[in-house]
Parts: sequence; C-alpha cells; structure tokens
Amino acid sequence: MKRKPLQDSPLQVDISDIDLSPDPFCMSFNFDLEPLKASIDRFGVLNPPYLLRNSDTDTHFTVVAGYRRLLAVRELGWSDMVCQILPDSFPPFKALLLNLHDNLVQRKMNEIEKAMVVQRLTRFVKHEQIITQFMPMLDIPANRQKLRLFLGLEDLEEPIKVSIAVERLSLRVAGLMMSLGTEDRLKINELFTTLKWSFNQQWEAIQWIMEIASREGRSIKEVMKDREVTEILHDSRMSNPQKLKDIVKVLKRRRFPSLMKAETEFRKGISALPLPKGVKISPPPFFEGIDYRVEIVFTKGKDLRDRLEKLSHLPGLDKITDFWKGPEYR
Amino acid sequence: MKQFTIRRILIERGAESDSLAKMIPKRLPDIPKELVDSHDLALPEGIEEMDKESLRIIHYKGEFLKPCPGTKRYICCGYQILNVGINCPMDCSYCFLQSYINQPSLRVYTNLPEKLDEIGEYIDSFPERIFRIGTGEFTDSLALNYLTGWTDYLIPFFSRRKNCILELKTKTSSVESLLKSRYRERIVVAWSLNSARIVSSEERKTASLKKRILAARDCQKAGFVLAFHFDPLLYYPGWDEDLEEAVKLLEKYIDPESIIWISFGSFRYMPALKWAIKRRFPKTKIFDGEFVTGLDGKLRYFKPIRIEMYSKLSERLKKWYEDLGIYLCMESSDVWKQSFGWSPKTSPSLSRYLDHRVRKLMVG
Ligand code: SF4
Repeated sequence: MKRKPLQDSPLQVDISDIDLSPDPFCMSFNFDLEPLKASIDRFGVLNPPYLLRNSDTDTHFTVVAGYRRLLAVRELGWSDMVCQILPDSFPPFKALLLNLHDNLVQRKMNEIEKAMVVQRLTRFVKHEQIITQFMPMLDIPANRQKLRLFLGLEDLEEPIKVSIAVERLSLRVAGLMMSLGTEDRLKINELFTTLKWSFNQQWEAIQWIMEIASREGRSIKEVMKDREVTEILHDSRMSNPQKLKDIVKVLKRRRFPSLMKAETEFRKGISALPLPKGVKISPPPFFEGIDYRVEIVFTKGKDLRDRLEKLSHLPGLDKITDFWKGPEYR
Repeated sequence: MKQFTIRRILIERGAESDSLAKMIPKRLPDIPKELVDSHDLALPEGIEEMDKESLRIIHYKGEFLKPCPGTKRYICCGYQILNVGINCPMDCSYCFLQSYINQPSLRVYTNLPEKLDEIGEYIDSFPERIFRIGTGEFTDSLALNYLTGWTDYLIPFFSRRKNCILELKTKTSSVESLLKSRYRERIVVAWSLNSARIVSSEERKTASLKKRILAARDCQKAGFVLAFHFDPLLYYPGWDEDLEEAVKLLEKYIDPESIIWISFGSFRYMPALKWAIKRRFPKTKIFDGEFVTGLDGKLRYFKPIRIEMYSKLSERLKKWYEDLGIYLCMESSDVWKQSFGWSPKTSPSLSRYLDHRVRKLMVG
C-alpha cells in the first residue's frame, strides 16, 4: 500500500514563537544538550523539528518532534530556524506517534521517557491497547502491573525521576515508593543514590524500612533518622561501601531481631569452642532445616585425621545445635 | 444467609448444557448473562484483577479429586481436594489465590454432579482407605452455595459412602442449607478461625468470629461433627490475648467432644504473593513479622515464633479439652515436637492419626 506523505511545509520560525514546555508530545527527560549543541554548531540542524500551529495560546507553535534540537538552538542563541509545519488538521494522536517513532529510531529511551510516552498515550487509546501494542514497542513487559507502574512514574518528584533515568534507582523500588509520601520518598532516594546501592540491595532495604516503620508504628522518616544510621552516614572515616554494609546490618537487626539474635548467639557459641584450625560449622539457613554443616580444610590426610580426632573430643559439641536458642543452651 | 454481589454471569461455551449451568442463572434472574469462550479472559476497564463480582460457569476438563499438594519437606495431612471451583467472593488479604490463579472471576465447575459417579467408584475401589475430602481449598465451601447448591448434592453423596468424610470449610455463617439437610453422617462442618482483630482487619466480607462460632454451634446442635482451623496464624503484639478471646468464645458455645480436629498453620506465602497482596492491600500489616525462606521456598515466620504460637495456642485449647485432635498444617517434625512435645514424624503417620479421629468420631 502506498503511504500518504506528511502534508508538511517548511517555514522559517522565530524560536520565541514556539512553546517550549514539554507538553503535550515531548518524550525527552534528563538529557545532556552539550553534544547536540556541539553538533548543531558545527553542521547545523540536519533534521528540522516538526511543529503544529497553535490556535489558543500566546505562542504560535507547539513542538511535535525535535524538542531537544529546539532547546539546543535556543541555547546557541539562534533567533529562528527552519521547521516543518504540519497541517492544522493533523490529528494529535498521529502527532504523538510521529514523535514516538522519531525517537524510537534515533535513540534508547530511559524509563522516565517511556513513562512519558505511556502517560501521553492514555489520552488517545485504551489501557488494553497500550499494553498489547505500545508496551512491547517500548520494551516494557506487557502487563497491567507494569502499565500501572509506568503511569505512576511521572508523578514522582524530579530528583527521583532523575535517579531512575540514570539507572541509579531501581524501577521496582520506585514502584514501592509510590505508596509513600513525598518527604519519605526523597529521603530514601537520597540514601540509595548517595551510597550507590545495588538494585538488589535497594529492593531489600526499602522493604525492611517500610516494614520496620509498619511494625514499630513509626514513620519512614523516623526509621531513617535512626541514630545508628545517621552516625554511620556522617562518619567521615568510613568509606561508602563500609557505610552501606553497616547500614544494611543495622536495618536487618531491626527488621529481624529474633533471627539476628539467634545468628549472633550461634556465632558466639561456636567462637567459644576451641575448634581445630580449618574447621567451620554452619547452621541451616535461617535455622529452618535441621541439618548443620561442617567444613574441614586440610592439605594432607594426616591433617584431616588430626582434626577429626580433636573434633571428636571437643567438649560442648553435642550442644551445638542449641546454641542459637540463647546463652542458657550453651 | 449472606448473598454476595454478582454483577455478571459468564457462561463458557461447552458448559451451557450442564445442569448447574441451567440452574445458577435462574437463581440470579436479573443479572446479565453472557456466553463466552474459555480463552476470553479480558476484563472490562475498571474491573479489579480478581474480578470477584463475576460468576464464570465452566465445564471443567481437569481432575475433580486430587491430593492436597503438600511438599516432602514438611508433614502433610494427606487431604483430598474436591475441586468444585476456584476463587471466592470474600476477600482475605492473605489469600494465596491472589498469586495462584491466573484467570479472573469466581469460577464454578458445572459438570461436577455428572462426575460424581466416577469419583464414587474411585473412592469405593479403596475400601481400606479413608478419604478425607474437602472443598474449601480453592474456594469457600459455603459462600456460593446459595447459587451452586453444592451441599444439596455433595452431602447426600458423601454421606452414603463408608470410607470417606466430606469437610466443608468456611468463613461464612451460611449454614441454612446444612441445617435443612437430613444427612449428618460423614459430614464435617469446619470453620477457619482467627482472632477477631484479624477477622475484621484482614478477612473482608467474611462472617465475624462470633457469627462463625454461633453458626458452628447451630450445626453442632443439629448433629454435625465440627472442625476448626486456626490458619493462618499471624504474629503481632497482642496476638495471644486476642486468640485467648477466640478460645473463650469456643468454650462458651461449642461442646468440644464432637470436634474431630483443630489444625494450626502459621501465615506462609510464596514470594510472588507478597506483591499481589501489596498491590491489592497496600496497608496490610501481615508482612510485619519476621519471615524467612522455608524448605519449600515459601516464607514462614522464623521457627521459634511459630513454635511459640503453636505451643501457647495448643496449651490454651487443651485447658478446655484434652482430646481435640490438634494438628499442624505443613510443619516439620522438630516444630511439632517443640510445640506439642510429640510428632507424627511423617506424613503417612499424620494421615493415620487423622484417619483414627475419623473412625473414632464418625465411621461406626
Ligand atoms: S475465604 Fe478463603 S478463598 Fe476466600 S478470600 Fe478468604 S482465604 Fe481466599
């Protein structure tokens, strides 16, 4: 089938006549204009932006495609440039698709930009169509939960959106943050991005923080203001990875007090035993099973025999599986 | 009898000629009906993912009677599930169905009456075995009974058999059809119980604790054997005092002698369920406890916490009556031992223990 060409026409347009707010078609977020400016400065605009004529605002044109190019030329001090003007009858949905395809062929969009697309699509098509047709195009798993997540991203605060866009904050974590208040969200974002937590660490920690708040009847803010956490954060002698490790420990102790206590008791009990060199004893994970492990490192058969011999005469060995239950069992 | 809101009836192609498929729509004459394909699962915009207000009538092609899917790592009671349908009109925050089912709507299987003879033949072919059968695993045994008439045909059917019992497990107080029935033999009416606080905060649209116990009392007075299931037990500040109140209600209204068993199970969940629940019940506090990954991959309370709950509750119940047939659902032998001072050690041995209860209380 022969496609109808766009009925656009080139026009020299004053930059001041163009509405450069990011709505309603823009899908660019947290970009670096410098490389583009450098390129335009050298070679000019190779691909002119597409505009629609405005009927009801002070500015005369709305940007359909080429938002970044226009920002770049404005920063370069251009007063006008050639743009393609779409006919007045050009449907807004088609304009959105034009920009979407323009972006998809040129670059990889970040998650916030994808969220902008999804948000804008809701003005024109049903959720079901977004899921089946557009989410695969945007490389988003096509299901309702993901749609809900992406629809919520645009409402997050700017610093959080930036963290997501630069992949410093996990999308899953952002999803959980949506149920929190602004102040709490920003605090968590700050914690996770300053110390460079891995996505898995973020995921675990945000759940702990929220669950500590819930079980202790405190706000997230109060949990995060924990004296120990604050001291670690402000300790100038500690490196960031050390701080992170210690904060995880503090949170874990608050989230799983009985489990952590059992682990400590077990460790204490074991360390009080004069175990032969190269022998390590581990409890079942979370003490859920009943099988304990012993690991013996040796280089010669004789060493193994010696260690087994010593082990077999070790006092207190038969109580080992009770160590975690508390000092009275040791 | 509580009736739930049903906004539409979806009759799957292939089910139209089943007897139940003809009867159910007659019981809801004003509700719109639609003939649908089995793969047509799209929900109209705005309908919540579990779609608990649509009744889907299905000609079920799978097995109706199946053993409860226990795991080797924990001791299982050897129950048989009679699959009458899936999903339920009540809405407990902790319900495992939220991540278990991948198809929406209340789904009832209309060809069950036609399959009963086959099920009967199977049961009869093992005369030495006792089949403990329940319908309350994937749905509530009584919540939709006013539409499906399950008790009208299941009770006479199982009551006549020699080597089985049918346990109807519910969180409703809808026992009218049971009370009208003239059968009592081999029917156990069971209630899931929890503290009144958990009932009101986590078990939406269910009957209150007191109403459940009063309904149990009515059934007991009418000659039914009873069972209770404290499952899922949830650990929170004051859980023990709250459960004490629940036990006091039992003491007040129930004669312990005709209780066939009382089971305990603590809240446990597959990891995916947490997110299904958080999505639907963001404010729930059921995840506040200390959960660790169990041997079957499910998250469970850290072992000493489970033991504390089981031992305290059983001690309290035993003060009421010594011989209640208390057992644990999906627990390890060491947890049994530490909670009760004894353990059946293996699943077959727990089965034998429960079969013994059946013989003692039901099979003459
Ligand atoms: S009553 Fe049972 S099946 Fe129904 S929602 Fe509650 S847990 Fe799920």
